[in-house]
Amino acid sequence: MTLALVFLIFGLLGAVMVSMNALLGPKKTNPVKEQPFECGSPPLQKGIPGFVIKFPLVVFLFVLFDIEVAFLFPWALIFREMKGPAFLILLAYAAVLAAGFVYAWRKGAFRWD
Amino acid sequence: MNGFAALAPLLFLVGGAILVLLLGTRRNGGTNSVQAAVSIAAIAAAGFSAARLWGRAVRAFGGQLRFDEAALFMTFLFLLAAAMAVLLGMRYLVRHAMPRGEYYGLLLLAACGLVIMTATINLLIVFLGLEVFSVSAYALSGLNRRDDRSAEAAAKYFLIGSFASAFVIFGLALLFGTRGSLDVHQLALPETGGSSALALTGLALVVSGLAFKIALVPFHMYQPDVYEGAPTPVAAFFAAAPKAAGFLVLLRILVPHFQTGIRNEAIIEFLSAVAVATMILGNFAALRQRNLKRILAYSSIAHAGYMLIAVISGDPAGLLFYLANYLFMGVGAFAAVIALGGPGREILDLDEFAGVGRRYPWIGGIFTVLLLSMAGFPPTGGFLAKFYVFSTAVRAGHLGLAIVGVLTSLVSVYYYLRIVRIMFMKEPERELDVDTENPAVYLVLFLCLYAVLQLGLFPGNIITLIRQATASL
Amino acid sequence: MTTVAVVGLSIVLFVLGTIAFIVKRDLLTQFMAVEIMLNAANLAFLGLARGSGRLDAQVIVFFVMTVAAAEAAVGLAIVLHIYRRKKSIKTEDLDRLRG
Repeated sequence: MTLALVFLIFGLLGAVMVSMNALLGPKKTNPVKEQPFECGSPPLQKGIPGFVIKFPLVVFLFVLFDIEVAFLFPWALIFREMKGPAFLILLAYAAVLAAGFVYAWRKGAFRWD
Repeated sequence: MNGFAALAPLLFLVGGAILVLLLGTRRNGGTNSVQAAVSIAAIAAAGFSAARLWGRAVRAFGGQLRFDEAALFMTFLFLLAAAMAVLLGMRYLVRHAMPRGEYYGLLLLAACGLVIMTATINLLIVFLGLEVFSVSAYALSGLNRRDDRSAEAAAKYFLIGSFASAFVIFGLALLFGTRGSLDVHQLALPETGGSSALALTGLALVVSGLAFKIALVPFHMYQPDVYEGAPTPVAAFFAAAPKAAGFLVLLRILVPHFQTGIRNEAIIEFLSAVAVATMILGNFAALRQRNLKRILAYSSIAHAGYMLIAVISGDPAGLLFYLANYLFMGVGAFAAVIALGGPGREILDLDEFAGVGRRYPWIGGIFTVLLLSMAGFPPTGGFLAKFYVFSTAVRAGHLGLAIVGVLTSLVSVYYYLRIVRIMFMKEPERELDVDTENPAVYLVLFLCLYAVLQLGLFPGNIITLIRQATASL
Repeated sequence: MTTVAVVGLSIVLFVLGTIAFIVKRDLLTQFMAVEIMLNAANLAFLGLARGSGRLDAQVIVFFVMTVAAAEAAVGLAIVLHIYRRKKSIKTEDLDRLRG
């Protein structure tokens, strides 16, 4: 019963979102939009072009920030027992990560051109 | 709040590092001297908060963080080395157009890793501290981005260093599996159960990983390349600080031997062989070098051999005294190299040093005293340190080690005095472009001179400190 | 039995990684060998913890993963830097430092 309800609610929600997009969204088109979608590269090309020079930098940053999330899982497990202190520890942890993010930003690591 | 007080030295270092790094991203506000001042302030704050922990046997985080007096003594050494490296870097960074915020920030983080390494008895935390240091160190040695040699040093250091780290962590896995604990005091005890082969392999892997980091023969090959290629202030920091951390960990592993009398002879024999090889190879390889930074690198390998004797003969006091001495000798020697460098270029080839001592008698004179201390002449600290180590080795029954130590020290006199002879006896071949406007470097040089003489002539105070430190092991 | 198998596999992986590190002559492959050694250590921790039923090992694995990621980020940046300067990542081209 509950399961059916879930499917009903979320199915409806999804249908509404899709149709809203079609009803309200602007209907302009351009050549790029009409191309088949291929993640991150032109669908038809000769050979594989070299990496953009910024690509490795973004990859390194991704690896670092991605792996730090792993520590949130053990943290979530002990949160019930520790509560307040655990929250402070998480804040300190996030602050260090944020400082790293600000550093990368100010250094221009996210500027693609 | 006890935990917070114990964390304070580390927090100051990390906070200082983050602040300096962020300052470095500002276009105009973060000038060189501001960043250096912030770094020195962070190091001083860490030092004061560490000094307040002395004599309080602080434990925090379920005993994982443990600032006993030995760890605090080492912390002071690391902070001193970092502060001197900051001073040495100030002008050097500008001369060689190196990134400044990154230099100071990574230096503080490297010092932080070394503190973590010594302030625990859990080998996993040791490993984490080692990695915090190593990762910063790889980046530090490649910081001179316009120089191929710096990039090469970074690549070699990184490859060998991460290889050694893999050894350590796999060894820890085997030890954890067989012992069920990573407590440092349980490792070196002889096996009782059935899985002794696995445990012994684990211990051997951990010890060889540490030997890589300390650069003991046969795990030393990368060290001269790293010293030569890395920016000289970075090499000054590497000269003593990481070795000190590695030796304290080694000492902690072996302490139960000397306190309980239950001995694991295999380790002692292995370390003795390594010590002999290190002393002989380090000193003889230094003989045929022409590059000053490489000579200092091999000399630091040789000194690691002498310090290993102190570990083997169960003499923590001798080890700490030697480390304190070597810190000032090592940093001071590299400071002299920096002081004699010109704008954008360093003099490294021995022949170019001809006559330098006559032209710059103060730098040449201090360099000479530091070299004499390395060679072990009285009345310097280097003499007392060697005297303590060798005499304790004889009393502990390691006569052979002491004899090899004395003989190889005699060999080392040749290459140390050769530098002095070239500086003072030879005529200068051509005009040298020496940048003499470098007060921070002179400060470091005088500090090292003072320390080496103080330790040699009036070592009383520091020996009292060392007694307290070794009592806490 | 499974514990023995898992630990045995981890030892095989570690030895393979060591051999690859020594035999191979370019920076990236050697770095991959080190990553295999680190993962062998992870596997050993998990396999050995299975036997004793303790949770410590699982936490240790998190730390080792983080360490590996930090090493990878710094190490790959160094390798990239070498490649940009020398157009090669072969170890025999690292020949400026000798003596």
